Amino acid sequence: MIEARGLTKVYGEKTAVAGVNFTVEAGRVTGFLGPNGAGKSTTMRMIMGLDRPTSGSVTVNGVPLDRHHAPLRDVGALLDAKAVHTGRSAYNHLRAMAATHSIPKKRVHDVIEMTGLAEVARKKVGGFSLGMGQRLGIAAALLGDPQTVILDEPVNGLDPEGVVWVRNLVKYLASEGRTVFLSSHLMSEMAVTADHLIVIGRGRIIADAPIQEIITGNGQGRTRVRTDQPDQLTRLLAGTGVTVQVQDHELLEVTGLEPRQIARTALDNHVMIYELTPLRASLEEAYMELTKDEVEYHSLITTGGHAPAQAGGN
Amino acid sequence: MSSTTLEPNPSSRGVRPGAANNQAGDRAGDSLSTGPGPSFLRVLNSEVIKFRTLLSTMILLGATIAVIIGVGSLAAWGIGQALQASSSDPQRSAALAAQGDLAASAPSAGISFAQLILGSLAVLIISSEFTTGMARSTFTAVPKRIPALAAKLLVVVVSAFLVTALSLYLAGLVAVPILDQYGHTLDVSSGHYYRTLLINSAYVAAVAAIGMALGALIRNSAGGIMTLVGIFFVLPIALQIIQGDFVTELRKFIPSNTLAPLTAADHVPDTLESWQAALVLGAWVVIPIVLAGILLKKRDV
Repeated sequence: MIEARGLTKVYGEKTAVAGVNFTVEAGRVTGFLGPNGAGKSTTMRMIMGLDRPTSGSVTVNGVPLDRHHAPLRDVGALLDAKAVHTGRSAYNHLRAMAATHSIPKKRVHDVIEMTGLAEVARKKVGGFSLGMGQRLGIAAALLGDPQTVILDEPVNGLDPEGVVWVRNLVKYLASEGRTVFLSSHLMSEMAVTADHLIVIGRGRIIADAPIQEIITGNGQGRTRVRTDQPDQLTRLLAGTGVTVQVQDHELLEVTGLEPRQIARTALDNHVMIYELTPLRASLEEAYMELTKDEVEYHSLITTGGHAPAQAGGN
Repeated sequence: MSSTTLEPNPSSRGVRPGAANNQAGDRAGDSLSTGPGPSFLRVLNSEVIKFRTLLSTMILLGATIAVIIGVGSLAAWGIGQALQASSSDPQRSAALAAQGDLAASAPSAGISFAQLILGSLAVLIISSEFTTGMARSTFTAVPKRIPALAAKLLVVVVSAFLVTALSLYLAGLVAVPILDQYGHTLDVSSGHYYRTLLINSAYVAAVAAIGMALGALIRNSAGGIMTLVGIFFVLPIALQIIQGDFVTELRKFIPSNTLAPLTAADHVPDTLESWQAALVLGAWVVIPIVLAGILLKKRDV
């Protein structure tokens, strides 16, 4: 479990992280979503004890990282695919990391196998592709078989096969009861990977809720309707809280009505419809909606005990 | 993928149903690992592995050995020539004799180059961690940070000492037959010879320690090496050019001028006493290292 309380980081004039509060629970994949420069990496570096918070605190399992007895066995992190000396081989890098915690060589070979690095393990890291670098970073994160796994943009530079692999890996780790904290600016990736989402924008938490809640919380559902009498149907459906957008010739998008109601209206008035598709708001749309107006949305969507402090932060 | 698990039953520790609003209760005992942590010996082992597994490190160590032996041999040859040439001229002969046992100083002629190479190596060992990003890996594994710096320092200082001592010993063995050709004997088994060898090695180790402090403070390879060169090569020359009593006094306290009083059998004019020199060199090592430690602990990686 990761807990941030009033976590703040100021670099000179710029406030990268502005008093954020959040809890990352064990047993599920928590996504950390935000545009570039929103403060994701800074927050993760503070969790790992690399950057000192200007104020506030962040703990892993109740203790700051530098007070852990065996940090690598408690927390594994991929913070930057290039956190490796370019002149050293992948195997030697992992061996040196393992030596700090007396992690056996077998485990080094295991994580190399697991991340598909066996063929290049003896080569210098300097010649690695971005994807190989990511795999090595993930191997290093898993080295100590940690209870908490933190991955900053893990799918960056991975091929489609690698993306699916990371997706399955993090879900598997969470299913084992581990705390998995995963950052990305790719909303589509989060939609299929994360169970819970923390959205950050300009150093503040905008939303902290289960992913379903964030998607469905984004206003009402929409329905795509195709009909050969678009003008008439538009007139019939019109009412308070209902918007009908003419998207194309014979194509409407209706907001504020259930598909059943639309079908009923069409049937009653003998208007033929030949498509009726409920549209789920994508996470991307939900995200755009969230970041459009931080203040309005964080109070709507933030759940549980995290809301008050956040409201106070504004 | 199923092999991610080392614990027999990992799911028993993390998952807590309905944990969403459970923040205060169970933080202290929450699954902190009991496996081996980063003790100093383990961190030291890690730093030894890091040291050995970089080709650039091995090249610089090899270069040091080659330079000390090469320059030592050349010096032996040059000194033999000079002594031979002066043998017919009593005045020059006396002047050379006044410089002490020249033959004995031949093997250590390459020390000033060795200090530059090993000092630069020490800068690189730590600055390259920052330039490549390796520091992030190092300090997440050892978040207390100071043990990692101490282990690196120990590895670099011991390596610098051993490599210099070995090279000086080999240079002595090479110098013996060369000097012998000119009719001079170099006693490589005398106590004085070994004492000088060890002091020279300790001096180079001290330079390496200063290099490591500079690398940790400046975090940039070129900047760290340039600063080292500035202290050991530019500063002595600059102070030679400037005249004045104060500068003459100041000159005694720069680190490169502490070696002469430390190795000389008799007191060398315009230098410190040997015990003073040892203290001054010690201060040049300790102050930057302590500063580097404090700042390493405080700064962001």
